[in-house]
Amino acid sequence: MTQTESVSRRSFLKTAAALGATPALMAAAPRVYADGRATIRVGLIGCGGRGSGAAADAVRGSEGIEIVAMGDLQPDRLARARTQLAQEIGASLRVDDAHAFSGFDAYKKVIASDVDLVILATPPGFRPTHIKAVIEAGKHLFTEKPVAVDPVGIRSVLASADLATQRGLAVVAGTQRRHQIHYLETMKRVHDGAIGDILAGRVYWNQGPLWAADRTPQMSDMEWQIRNWLYFTWLSGDHIVEQHVHNIDVANWALRAHPVRAYGMGGRQTRVEQPKFGHIFDHFCVELEYPGGVRVTSMCRQQTGTRGANEEVFAGTRGTASLADSNAGGRIRGATEFQRAKLPDDVTPYVREHTDLVASIRAGTPLNELRQVAESTLTAIMAREAAYTGLPITWDEILASNLDLTPGPLEFGPIAMPPVPMPGVTKLERTAFGHGR
Amino acid sequence: MMPVPAGTVQRPGAAPLAVGPFWMMKSEVTWDLYDVFVFELDKSSDSTQAGRTVNAVSRPSKPYVLPGDSFGHAGYPAIGMSLHAAREFARWLSGKTGRRYRLPTIEEWQHACRLGAGRAPGSSGPLAARAWFARNADDKTHPVASRAPDVLGLHDVLGNVAEWTVAGADSGVAGGGFSSDSAAVSCDAWQSQTRAWNVSDPQLPKSRWWLTDAFFVGMRLIAADS
Repeated sequence: MTQTESVSRRSFLKTAAALGATPALMAAAPRVYADGRATIRVGLIGCGGRGSGAAADAVRGSEGIEIVAMGDLQPDRLARARTQLAQEIGASLRVDDAHAFSGFDAYKKVIASDVDLVILATPPGFRPTHIKAVIEAGKHLFTEKPVAVDPVGIRSVLASADLATQRGLAVVAGTQRRHQIHYLETMKRVHDGAIGDILAGRVYWNQGPLWAADRTPQMSDMEWQIRNWLYFTWLSGDHIVEQHVHNIDVANWALRAHPVRAYGMGGRQTRVEQPKFGHIFDHFCVELEYPGGVRVTSMCRQQTGTRGANEEVFAGTRGTASLADSNAGGRIRGATEFQRAKLPDDVTPYVREHTDLVASIRAGTPLNELRQVAESTLTAIMAREAAYTGLPITWDEILASNLDLTPGPLEFGPIAMPPVPMPGVTKLERTAFGHGR
Repeated sequence: MMPVPAGTVQRPGAAPLAVGPFWMMKSEVTWDLYDVFVFELDKSSDSTQAGRTVNAVSRPSKPYVLPGDSFGHAGYPAIGMSLHAAREFARWLSGKTGRRYRLPTIEEWQHACRLGAGRAPGSSGPLAARAWFARNADDKTHPVASRAPDVLGLHDVLGNVAEWTVAGADSGVAGGGFSSDSAAVSCDAWQSQTRAWNVSDPQLPKSRWWLTDAFFVGMRLIAADS
């Protein structure tokens, strides 16, 4: 949107507000903040460590932010988060007992509260449903990544992305490298041609193991799987989607495209303990083929005792660009030389992403990152399915796939353990608990 | 471990304090050792395994990104652990070995540092030969004991990583690290924890175990028994 358009839009909305816009118009349109000091009322859905952190980051990132409603599946997580946030953000937490919700429908109650902006930080499997509800209710959105775990979910999110644009809603996603200063400065130079045309790349997130939630005798299958959500593809998307989407998103960002095809492998070699580690893999290596035959190697691993690597590197006709969310920072070598370290004084991207979101709402020029993060998520899903099946998977195939990993009705009770995917046996088109249909 | 003889330490505004004798780790704690604690490499999946068990020591959360992973790993100092993690590590190591390891007090650390430096400052040669700091470290840690030892045989007491010490109710890191300039690499150098040390931890509460932004923080333990 141009400057002129944004000014005229603001003028219109001020005028509309002054004249008392028709209820029908106001019901459909989001509240808009022509005045930068107007308070933005935030609802938090998903009150784990990241959700609570995101709420605090939103408050830190801008003036005039209040957290007014919270929801979590689990009452204990909800209570803990309210205590933690009260300590962290003080009077900016304005959630009374009537606006603290638990249960599978807590998200609906948060969205139905008097909120302007919703933060989604539940396990990713719930995200498409929650995103749809937020956008249809006309609320602005901060959504954690990834935004879905299967193609059916992605198609829903893509529809929500279009609806958000139609309605002038702002959406920022938790792919925070897009808001990290040394990434932005390095990537701007890549896009300006500093390394010429990109010929190949590599994106890695290799590390040790992560936390796992132990089961207590009181927990139903459903409750335990959700508390231990990292290890179930229907909830996390597997670690290639849940975590490595960050690096894959940087590849799509660098190439300003999504891949057309994925081919690769993966497995579960050290994560053999069941049911503790569910059924996901512990390593993937996938080749992503972009338009023009450009190949990017994607590698991710969560295995104890192995050497880590977390970076994105692109080789072009005139040089090489390397980026990392670490002390290594961003660097370009070749025809031009550039280095931008990650500096101690840099505002953390976890705060900047909220600053950018709120500024776009208040300026009347809403950011909408939903399509971008949906495409990065689908890229990761395509790579996962290439490894699960052992077959090349094209973008058109994955986008049209009917793979839906939802295990059935969402209620506490018995639920089966999905099988560990087996290359050569597992099919892209399969049921939630099978290798095929 | 190297022996550190008894002595007295005079801190500003305080009476002389008798410290020592004690044993001090010759080098900063490396990832090789800290990995065993963090990733529970001492626990076998074979439940019949015999061996000393350590009761009531909790283990660190598994980090999303190991601090300073691009610096190097084997032989490099473990970094980015919180004070709580450093103390739990000492308890764990004590339980494993039967020897009482702990963090030094600031007086003990300074005593060892001054004895090691010799009578006259700089008597052990130029700082760049003895320590990794801003001028020679290329903004990263280096393998422990890759600079010359001090008079006591201790490596990297100054520089490489600043080391956790206990100071009454307060705690902080001593000696300066790879990113410190020469004035901040000394036996008197001491920093207490600030918000900047874990500002980019995106979780609330922030980790009790990891300091996401304190790549210059490490540790070296002492043992008071012989």
